[in-house]
Amino acid sequence: MESNRSFLIQLQILTKRMVLRVVRRPLAELPNLIISAFFLFVYDGALGGVFGGSASGTPFDFAKGNFINFILPVSIVSASLSGAASGIYLVEDIESGVFKRYQSMPISRWAIILAPMNVGAFRVLLQSGLILFIGIIIGADPAVGNIGFLIVLSLAFLWGMGFAGYSVAAGVKSGSSQGAQAATFLFFPAIFLAPTFVPREALKGWLETAAAYNPTTYVIEAMRAVMVDGWELDVLFRGYLSAGLFAALTLTLAVLSARKATEKA
Amino acid sequence: MLAVDVKNIKKTFISKQDTVEAVKDVSFQVKQGEIFGLLGPNGAGKSTTILMLTTLLSITDGRASVLGIDVATKDKEVREKIGVALQDTGIDNLLTGRELFFTTCRLWGYSKKDSEKRTTEILELVGLVEAADRRVKTYSGGMKRRLDLGLSLVHSPEILFLDEPTTGLDPGSRRVLWDEIKRLRDNGVTIILTTQYLEEADELADRIAIIDEGLVVAEGTSDELKAGIGGDVITFAFENNDFLEDAKNILKNTVQDKNELRITVEDGASKIPGYLKDLTSNGVEVSSVSASKPTLDDVFLEVTGYRLEGSEDIKNEEEKSKR
Repeated sequence: MESNRSFLIQLQILTKRMVLRVVRRPLAELPNLIISAFFLFVYDGALGGVFGGSASGTPFDFAKGNFINFILPVSIVSASLSGAASGIYLVEDIESGVFKRYQSMPISRWAIILAPMNVGAFRVLLQSGLILFIGIIIGADPAVGNIGFLIVLSLAFLWGMGFAGYSVAAGVKSGSSQGAQAATFLFFPAIFLAPTFVPREALKGWLETAAAYNPTTYVIEAMRAVMVDGWELDVLFRGYLSAGLFAALTLTLAVLSARKATEKA
Repeated sequence: MLAVDVKNIKKTFISKQDTVEAVKDVSFQVKQGEIFGLLGPNGAGKSTTILMLTTLLSITDGRASVLGIDVATKDKEVREKIGVALQDTGIDNLLTGRELFFTTCRLWGYSKKDSEKRTTEILELVGLVEAADRRVKTYSGGMKRRLDLGLSLVHSPEILFLDEPTTGLDPGSRRVLWDEIKRLRDNGVTIILTTQYLEEADELADRIAIIDEGLVVAEGTSDELKAGIGGDVITFAFENNDFLEDAKNILKNTVQDKNELRITVEDGASKIPGYLKDLTSNGVEVSSVSASKPTLDDVFLEVTGYRLEGSEDIKNEEEKSKR
């Protein structure tokens, strides 16, 4: 029996179990999955007419004729927040006592913590992939070619893992799913204190300052660079650095809080 | 080798607001193949003791070993040997019984093929074959307890810890679970269970430790404990509280239980006339008197000074179900 007890097998078993939980409650999961797609259509419908093709030759032509390319990163970044579900999944296990059951067994505590994060990562990729797919159908066309989609997806993944880490840390610290759920409220400052609908140069006063300190700004700008402008390596670097640092910070917090939670009182 | 050896363990919880001694001094030994009951009210320290022995809580002081393995320093080895069904270990309601057993088998290291086989065995053992492919959220309370018991048995543990296994169950489900627990004991599994039901301890446990306020106040077989208080229990009931108070002054070595007084004496029936004479000659009216062999209830009252709440409830439920 011992040979089957490797960390990776435990992680795989626990991840599979959590995936089963997720697919067994579609009504709780589907709205999250489609809300970012909904916003993509709303943004395009509301603003595409102003900033799309008809803006050619005007000072508002920052989308360079394709507003979908410009707004797609906002929907992708929104979708990547679904990584925050990781914390909720983990806290549900703590609240229901399933976490304690696993603790009473000789299995790795890291497998218990990482399984919901795996599922969170899967959700980020699924949700971002869905937005990309819809984006392609309605005309997204990266300036750097199709590799742009992969870059956008990888940034979304890193960014989503940052939110996953934050939600796990908040959830474990508060011990309640409301605590983990609170991570999703970061959505509003993250998205709206950023160059969401216009480039940063077009923002005014305090919002421009706030956007400069918001890491989301750099992630959106990196995605926009490959979608709208082409290869701008310094912008890309800043995007990966922001997402990477955010993920490293929150995952460290998650690990520290999870370690405390699994220690014996 | 002893199944469980507990020597003067203590557990103190220290927070900014408070220091709580949940377990002050608990010692007991459990032999292999027996059912050992920890009996006590809520807050007595039973569950905390179990959490320490199952490695889920650190021990503040003292020592404990399971099959000779030190609980404090070798928690992984201990977990290999034990099965645990605690009050607050949860069950994933969205999975089916079969999926839960299969997942647990895999986590214990069974191959996929062996997990399927073991799942079938355990489903049969706990009588959940027909409900195996239903989601757990559709299970009754009794079925969930049997599922919980089954999950703790997946790896054929030598020692099983059950924390209040029948709390909240109806009499029928309780009986089913009792039979299950006895069958496990008959198959050689050592069982340590906590309960706040006297009848459960009496029915199931080969030996009992009564825990009160974090201390073991009595230990032995049910018969030994009953014999320990000696003779018969005479119970007097009174018309009013004044008579009861007067009677307390007249009779020696009484224990009060609500509006009754109890005396434990040898050959109780023959002593009743003498006691009645003493009381009536002092103007105390006795509304009823009876003599009986001591019950575990009497033992509990004798060693703690109060009755165990909840034991009446289980008795009433049993009677109701018989009707």
